[in-house]
Amino acid sequence: MPEKNAHKAKARLTLRSQLAELSRVWPWVDALAAEYNLSGETRFAINLCLEEALSNIIRHGYRGHPDHSITIDFTFTGTSLTFTIEDRASHFAPTESGDAQPAASIEEYRPGGLGLQLMRRYAGSLAWELLPRGNRLTIGFTVAQAPGK
Amino acid sequence: MKITTEELEGGITKVVLEGRLDIEGAAAVDLKMNVLAGSKKSLLYDLQKVTFLGSMGLRSIVVPAQAVHRHGGKVVIFAPQPMVEDVLKASNISSIIPIHHELSAAIAAMK
Repeated sequence: MPEKNAHKAKARLTLRSQLAELSRVWPWVDALAAEYNLSGETRFAINLCLEEALSNIIRHGYRGHPDHSITIDFTFTGTSLTFTIEDRASHFAPTESGDAQPAASIEEYRPGGLGLQLMRRYAGSLAWELLPRGNRLTIGFTVAQAPGK
Repeated sequence: MKITTEELEGGITKVVLEGRLDIEGAAAVDLKMNVLAGSKKSLLYDLQKVTFLGSMGLRSIVVPAQAVHRHGGKVVIFAPQPMVEDVLKASNISSIIPIHHELSAAIAAMK
């Protein structure tokens, strides 16, 4: 159960750099969503952004090397919630990458590039920092709590 | 992630997906989806019971659809849940694979 008080609550999940580790993210997010009474839409957006960000780090940042670590820190302030992801992978500068160009037809569709586009659509805010060794991605969401509580 | 199929009239195969089309779900259905794309005339993706869709899941439905188009078939998406439909729209996939919420309209679009 995450530490919680009226102003700020935190929780942390540490993963190894393997795609199979992503199966640990869903139950962690589900537990946080239940704890903080988050709406289904917010939970969907969190899961989508975390999956895209983490899979990019594992597949492209760590290039499939399985024994590195990734930490995800969750902070809840009452009006917003934030996930901060840190890795020690090669530097990533997403502002240099635009959204994928929409395909005009199904024949023209090329896989790839949609993850970042979806993150920009579903996150309230995204901020990347280059660390001396690795990257820090901060994903913010505006709180939309489930009705009835 | 579960995948089942049902043959409809007119050479249409309904592909019923159930669960989360995340990375794990996509990996679970990719092989069968590609086999279907190579062996069936037209595919109707029934997404009523898909509760999540990420970019790897999008790939799992679009790449087989491309194969179906290459051999002259058609693909439509049937009845996605609102949040899943929003992902299809946000990624512009809805502009290249039509979405229908009535089964009769989905089937008619494939004829």
